Amino acid sequence: MRSAFRVICFYLILLLIWEGIFRLHLWPAFLFPSPLQVFETLANGFYDKSFLIGIGISMERILLGFGISLVLGIVVGFCIGSFQILDGTIGPLLNGLRSLPSICWFPLGLLWFGLNENAINFVVIMGAAFCITLATDDGVKNISPIYLRAASTMGAKGLKRFWYVILPAALPSIITGMKLGWSFAWRSLMAGEMLYVSLGLGHLLMMGRELNDISQMFAVMLVIMALGLLVDKVVFGLMEREMRIRWGLNAL
Amino acid sequence: MKLNIQGVSKTFLARKNRVLALEDISLDVKQGEFVCLIGPSGCGKSTLLNIIAGLIHPERGTVLMDGHPVTEPGPDRVVMFQDHALFPWLTVLGNVEFGMKMKGVPRDKRRALALEFLRMVHLSSFQHAYTHELSGGMKQRVALARALAINPDILLMDEPFCSLDAQSREILQVELQEIWSLTRKTIVFVTHNVREAVYLGNRVIVMSARPGRIKQDITIDLPRPRRMGSLEMIKVTNSIMQELRGEIETVLKEELHDA
Repeated sequence: MRSAFRVICFYLILLLIWEGIFRLHLWPAFLFPSPLQVFETLANGFYDKSFLIGIGISMERILLGFGISLVLGIVVGFCIGSFQILDGTIGPLLNGLRSLPSICWFPLGLLWFGLNENAINFVVIMGAAFCITLATDDGVKNISPIYLRAASTMGAKGLKRFWYVILPAALPSIITGMKLGWSFAWRSLMAGEMLYVSLGLGHLLMMGRELNDISQMFAVMLVIMALGLLVDKVVFGLMEREMRIRWGLNAL
Repeated sequence: MKLNIQGVSKTFLARKNRVLALEDISLDVKQGEFVCLIGPSGCGKSTLLNIIAGLIHPERGTVLMDGHPVTEPGPDRVVMFQDHALFPWLTVLGNVEFGMKMKGVPRDKRRALALEFLRMVHLSSFQHAYTHELSGGMKQRVALARALAINPDILLMDEPFCSLDAQSREILQVELQEIWSLTRKTIVFVTHNVREAVYLGNRVIVMSARPGRIKQDITIDLPRPRRMGSLEMIKVTNSIMQELRGEIETVLKEELHDA
């Protein structure tokens, strides 16, 4: 209770400082908005549904891109983790590609797909897939051999072995990879949406710039931040918590 | 003959030295027999068990199960490990159901069977617990229920009670004897505890120190239920201890020499 109170106080003070700086008129109002202006824009954005539409479109894109990266990452990661030959050959290559910032895929994406949806999806996938792949690979490699032995003496083979043993055993590591992949995907998506009339949140942000509407930019940035945080904390946070409870990792 | 081991040998590479772990092991196990493999540490008894399980391939010799050669692990020869090897992502019930799920037993049926086996090991009230919430003894009970639920032709037990505290171990030994009397499963049980072997087994196979060979094949025909510490048991135990003492000394000498 006390700590919640402290946090609320902190943010109230922060807002007051913001308002104070605004009132000093150090910069013109079109470069530095007041918090009130930003909240008004925020409320308007939700009221006239433009923010809701933006959120909807961006979420749709990221679910598609992230979903593809997830399937791709888990399948490829499982293969690398399971077959020595792939580990020695593709492994280092993927590690190298992962270190490439996802925005660097844009020129290629634009050339291959043109300035459209596919280019954005391409960059989102490239941003997330590598770290999910490598996390899965890591998870598969670190499965305690005793689980695999037990599973094989109980008749777990082929797809069943993958689905009921390898995947759940590697899940802790995969969840970590997903979390990281999500944040990469989110960044790539925002960057991609700024490039053209994509109607997503990134586009709304860019529109703020084009209309010289500073409060719109601030408001959209807040929405992007809140959404990213929400998914990270709520979706992945809950997943992680559930996993830790099952495995008994909280006791440590 | 249920299980037929013919001339099995196995060498391992240890620090560039070839170590002969098992030499020319031949052994027959009949349907419904409870066979205990005993020997000093490093005599290859666990290796032999793993070969029967199909987890390790022998260098020479064959293992026949109902006349068919063993080439890979399978649910007809379930292993119960020293380290329970329960899956932490499943509940107790999920673990017991696992083997049946792999076999494709329908959901309702496997649930009912799993509950039955959990009752057998007295863990019904823990069906929804995750494995880390259980004590060592309880984990091994779940592992036993999980193995029995698969209804294997032969149950392979690799020192399953050796990491438990003395009380839990004794309770589990008593329960295993009861369960065996009830189900008459064919069991191959590896242990280094002579009392345990004499208490549980119809036969005790004494193995020699490296290279592992079968030194003695003793039939224990004491009536069941046996009582730990009864006079007959002590007699048999002592005579086997005598036999083993020489082997243990050999191992000790070797280890001291190595060091």
